[in-house]
Amino acid sequence: MLKYSLKRLAQSLVTLFIIITVVFLLMRLMPEEGYFGQAYEKLDEAQREAILTGMGLRDPMHIQLKNFYKSLLVGDLGKSIIYRPKVPIAEILKTKIPYSLYFGLTAVVISLIAGISLGIIMARSKSQIWDKLGTGYIVFINAVPAAVYYLFLQLYVTDIFKLPILFKPDNTASWILPAISMSLGSTAAYAMWMRRYMVDELNKDYVKLARAKGLRNKTIMVKHIFRNAFVPMAQYLPSTLLYTISGSIYIESLYSIPGMGGLLVDVIQRQDNTVVQALVLIYSSIGIIGLFLGDVLMAMFDPRINLQKKGGAR
Amino acid sequence: MTDSKIILSVKDLVVKFRLRGRVLTAIREASLDLYEGESLAIVGESGSGKSVFTKTFMGLLDGNGWVDFGEILYGGENLAKYKTEDDWIKIRGKNIAMVFQDPMTSLNPLKTIGKQVQETVELHQCLKKEEAKKAVIEILNDVGIPEPERRYNQYPHEFSGGMRQRVVIAIAVACKPKILICDEPTTALDVTIQAQILGLLKRLKKKYKLTTIYITHDLGVVANVADRIAVMYAGDIVEIGNCEEVFYNAQHPYTWALLSSLPQLGVKGKPLHSIKGTPPNLFHKIKGDAFAPRNPRALKIDFVEKPPYFTVSPTHKAKTWLLDPRAPKVEPPESIEILRKQWGLSKDA
Repeated sequence: MLKYSLKRLAQSLVTLFIIITVVFLLMRLMPEEGYFGQAYEKLDEAQREAILTGMGLRDPMHIQLKNFYKSLLVGDLGKSIIYRPKVPIAEILKTKIPYSLYFGLTAVVISLIAGISLGIIMARSKSQIWDKLGTGYIVFINAVPAAVYYLFLQLYVTDIFKLPILFKPDNTASWILPAISMSLGSTAAYAMWMRRYMVDELNKDYVKLARAKGLRNKTIMVKHIFRNAFVPMAQYLPSTLLYTISGSIYIESLYSIPGMGGLLVDVIQRQDNTVVQALVLIYSSIGIIGLFLGDVLMAMFDPRINLQKKGGAR
Repeated sequence: MTDSKIILSVKDLVVKFRLRGRVLTAIREASLDLYEGESLAIVGESGSGKSVFTKTFMGLLDGNGWVDFGEILYGGENLAKYKTEDDWIKIRGKNIAMVFQDPMTSLNPLKTIGKQVQETVELHQCLKKEEAKKAVIEILNDVGIPEPERRYNQYPHEFSGGMRQRVVIAIAVACKPKILICDEPTTALDVTIQAQILGLLKRLKKKYKLTTIYITHDLGVVANVADRIAVMYAGDIVEIGNCEEVFYNAQHPYTWALLSSLPQLGVKGKPLHSIKGTPPNLFHKIKGDAFAPRNPRALKIDFVEKPPYFTVSPTHKAKTWLLDPRAPKVEPPESIEILRKQWGLSKDA
């Protein structure tokens, strides 16, 4: 277990290092206008060169890389140039991440509880009324574009329950609907997978043996089936939790929440190179850390994973 | 065997399944008396209802199946009347236990084998944690698992197929059941392990005074472990008798066909015997003897009326009109004649 985790950790660190390097090198291919902002038109060629040299962008590539790693190590992501000129990127994120995190985590918790319960109910009443209703819900969520039911909720549900249409940080009631809207899609996904894994387990021979032993159906459900069905879901849990900081473009713009959603698109459009670089770094690191934690979590649940001599089974 | 007590008695059992809106009759009025301490083998081809028949004793039918008619008498109670889980909990594991076919999938891969045996022990013997663990280790030792203390904490994937089957057997005997049903216990194992597992089952039967039912289509297994044989065809027991009686003095044409198909009885240079045709469609009502359409020696009455049991000896009976005194003399196949002669010889000796 420990050996497996350490091995996976080492692999993740190597991957992370490669990604940081690749991202940095790719960003060097971006147009250089991105380093000047509004002032670009007013400067002449010599002045531009002077500014770029001042930022260290005319140094040889390996020096630039070294400096980049150095500042990353002390947690310095650089400063925004166009999005909010001269403001450290860490500063910008600090105001935005909490909103996305709050809504994201609330939505994950809601959808985990609702989705897994729904999945269990559906598996237990396979091909009966609850299963069919649940399937209807899953089909609806997957078939109808999210924007449609998001808008529907915003327009009608706010009206029925007298909730505010837009988000205001000091109004608690305005926090409810965005979180619920965000959880709808993942609820359907969790329900679908949970049902599927449960049904898979239900038909396995060890369940028959457990019944023949004299265990009650309830005990079998809780002690055998649920645990085994949850293992494959556990793998994606850390990624899901970590990715909540990236926010949701739709929900945040619908309710005008000042979160992370849309920030990446925004800075790419405005060619704010340093912010793009920082965001891409953060999101890809999250991806790698999430996968690593997921694998470790799986190994904790499933003893068979320890034995795999070759680390990355997936 | 006749002086033994009857431990389980099945009378005219009918089991039906609902399948895609149609009703299938899997067991057609099968009757069976199981004597205490005996070892009975149920043989028959795939789909003859061997497994379904024994599953009804434990209430383990799939959700779409039910007992339509008949009685299963055990310990003064009619198990066929049992409906709820609470009823069956009293029987399963404690009174009747089962060993399944495939040990590779019969254990939960995510739980230590110690825990899986302990579950049963705690459930039925009401032992506390420490005592239960001790009991589990004793049982593991009993079924021939070396170093049970270390093995207790291991997971199924760390066991070989034969060792896993030992664990499954340990789970079955953990609660000292009266009856042990072995549903093709050696089919999924390789030949050398088969003999070990059969030996183990025989030893445990003696030690725990078990009554055992073997479900198998391997007549080699039957000869090895069984006192009595019940031959099943299309959901009914067509012939039942002592091992020797069924092997050497078979009366039912289906038993003849089954025995003739044994590769050991084949003649060199000639193709092995095989039973022509397919088993009857259980969705339809079967008229007369279910085997008649495949039986080259079928009488006219076989297509009209279901034969009752005819007694051959106090322990041997068969459901075939051939045994009716009015029936014409029908010669069994050559290989059966050879078997009969062999028995005659061994009887004289």
